[in-house]
Amino acid sequence: MADDGSASNRRDPIKSSVGNVAGQRRRQQAVTVAKERRESLVRAKRLCRVGTNGGDDEDAFVENEMMIDEEQPVLEAQTVKAVEELKSAVQSQGKGVMQKRVTALRELRRLLSKSEFPPIDAALSAGAIPLLVQCLSFGSPDEQLLESAWCLTNIAAGKPEETKALLPALPLLVAHLGEKSSAPVAEQCAWAIGNVAGEGEELRNVLLSQGALPPLARMIFPDKGSTVRTAAWALSNLIKGPESKAAAQLVRVDGIVDAILRHLKKTDEEIATEIAWIVVYLSALSDIATSMLLKGGILQLLVERLATSDSLQLLIPVLRSLGNFVSVDPKAMLTILVGGQNTEENIINVLAKCLRSEHRVLKKEAAWVLSNIAAGSIEHKRMIHSSEAMPLLLRLLSTSPFDIKKEVAYVLGNLCVESAEGGDARPRIIQEHLVSIVSGGCLRGFIDLVRSPDIEAARLGLQFIELVLRGMPNGEGSKLVEGEDGIDAMERFQFHENEELRVMANSLVDKYFGEDYGIDE
Amino acid sequence: MAMGMAELGFPYWNPLRRRFPPDSPFFASGNVERELLAKQVALDFTEDEINNLQIIVETESRRISCPIVGCPERLKSLDNFEDHYKARHTASCSVCSRVYPTSRLLSIHISEAHDSFFQAKVARGYDMYECLVEGCGLKFKNYKARHRHLVDKHKFPTTFEFFKRTQLSKKRREKLQKQRVPKLKHEEDKEEASSDAMEVEDKASLDGLVSALSTLTTSDTTPSNVSFGRRHGRGLTFVPRSVHREKPTNSSSTPGPKT
Repeated sequence: MADDGSASNRRDPIKSSVGNVAGQRRRQQAVTVAKERRESLVRAKRLCRVGTNGGDDEDAFVENEMMIDEEQPVLEAQTVKAVEELKSAVQSQGKGVMQKRVTALRELRRLLSKSEFPPIDAALSAGAIPLLVQCLSFGSPDEQLLESAWCLTNIAAGKPEETKALLPALPLLVAHLGEKSSAPVAEQCAWAIGNVAGEGEELRNVLLSQGALPPLARMIFPDKGSTVRTAAWALSNLIKGPESKAAAQLVRVDGIVDAILRHLKKTDEEIATEIAWIVVYLSALSDIATSMLLKGGILQLLVERLATSDSLQLLIPVLRSLGNFVSVDPKAMLTILVGGQNTEENIINVLAKCLRSEHRVLKKEAAWVLSNIAAGSIEHKRMIHSSEAMPLLLRLLSTSPFDIKKEVAYVLGNLCVESAEGGDARPRIIQEHLVSIVSGGCLRGFIDLVRSPDIEAARLGLQFIELVLRGMPNGEGSKLVEGEDGIDAMERFQFHENEELRVMANSLVDKYFGEDYGIDE
Repeated sequence: MAMGMAELGFPYWNPLRRRFPPDSPFFASGNVERELLAKQVALDFTEDEINNLQIIVETESRRISCPIVGCPERLKSLDNFEDHYKARHTASCSVCSRVYPTSRLLSIHISEAHDSFFQAKVARGYDMYECLVEGCGLKFKNYKARHRHLVDKHKFPTTFEFFKRTQLSKKRREKLQKQRVPKLKHEEDKEEASSDAMEVEDKASLDGLVSALSTLTTSDTTPSNVSFGRRHGRGLTFVPRSVHREKPTNSSSTPGPKT
């Protein structure tokens, strides 16, 4: 988010020799950095380091000097001084007052953009907010608005209480989103709003009540530009819920669904990424949006993006959107699918591609999507079973980390069982699938799950063992389970604190490995 | 038999669609990835650093509670959990190689299963069966009474069995006897269906001395000889003869060794 477009000013060779050592230290520190600081890295807020109008040369030079932690006290002192300067500039009258204000703002903005952990607290204590709000007043020159919004953006990128400090500025920030504002100003205000929205539900509600959503939504109508990207990101933070009212409001904006579909189809990956996150939230929170998007052919667009892109940033929200759509009633989904495009097969192939990826998130969420498809009709199960996904799944069950393993387990188990229709019927086993999956060597993986401390995983493992014991032909199941130390795993539950699992394990051992076991060999 | 399972209420595998709200922990790692990647360029992280950060962030928030009854441990990772489990919950009996989750329970097992003095005192009417809950201190005359106490006083479920009860026919036992390979750790063993009553019943086949004391007891529970390395870990499935007598089911099919 911070360094879009202007790639040139980021790695200037002249500065790099000096910056290298510092850069290395910074990196080392960043990785071993304390918990509180790690938290700042995973917050849904983003610091603005390069201005929305690209910054001028002078700025570029200074911008890239990132400071190291020990210099923090110096930074803070400078910040206090800068706020003082701003105060006097705001209060003064007469000639050149505009320039004074911009200069003071710029200095403050630089201090808030340079460091990895900007001196936000110092700025707030020195009383920056009321001054910055004043600088946002209507009729102020663009440069002033820009610098002020930029300062506010970075203040809002900090800790929760720091973000909350922006409350007085919100109405003005929202106002400057309007179509009369210059693009860089509107974009910078959107950025600030995006940071505020990223803080939490409370602030999101405030923004919504102040009417932030419609102007922000309109900012994504143009075909391209960094403004579209920033606004889309801010919008995604605004509607992320978990309450659904923002999503519901968004879908009512005229033309928004078309704009979304248009961007997903054609736009460059950076914009498409933020748009995809909007789709993630719409598909999770709004039924109306879900059906409108499905009717508009979004599945095909998502599949195409998954098939053609290598950008992890893009793939994550696209995959998750697909997952959200699939997890809605699949029957309804199918009736909307555009006929004759083999979309279902394409979906499975593209999910297989994700399973092949080296990225954990993609593997896990792709398996989740497959598990939902596998929970559908027999045709769906057959489609997956005969696809290139099968060998991948079997391998992943043995080799992948635990959270992926669990999702894969869901897929494999769902493939072996027909979904139960009646209330108390015991779901029927699809023996053909069960046999092929077991002979593919999956039993060990399931028994590993039985041993895990995770209740859900252990339960899955036991349920699958039951399928094997019940469903394998010629009573082979018992031998197979025994052969993989399954009995041992089940007996672990004797002292397990979860009663349901204890009973499940006991009943299996009693029934299949009781006194008659092995008698008729 | 199929009916039996249904009556027990086994939750069979039923394929269901799973949907998660956007703030579900299920999506947490993807969300973390999103933010780290977005800041990657600005802070110049390499892909490795991102991965490390991701893992640190996730494991810090997700500790694994050990699921064994009464264990308060919370582990940082699955590997740590496995290590912890092996270190703390696999106390193994050197007599019968059975495995217990704590050393206290192991020593209770050894007393109740392998100690002729224990059986002698039981026979004489002393309260020997300790309550399994640490700190309770109460003792009982027999296994069943202790079990009742655990259920009534400590809210153990009635299905909770310190000694699991299953019977093997003589034919099966003899077969297993021949096939058994001496081992100390229970993991390697593949034989086991349930070797429970075996321990008691196979007295005749055990090597070693028969302790003089065992002939003094009226209860014929005791496999009073020590035989190392014969068993493999079904420590939890052993049932002392005294229990067989008290529980009406199944015990009739097993011939008991009479001294």
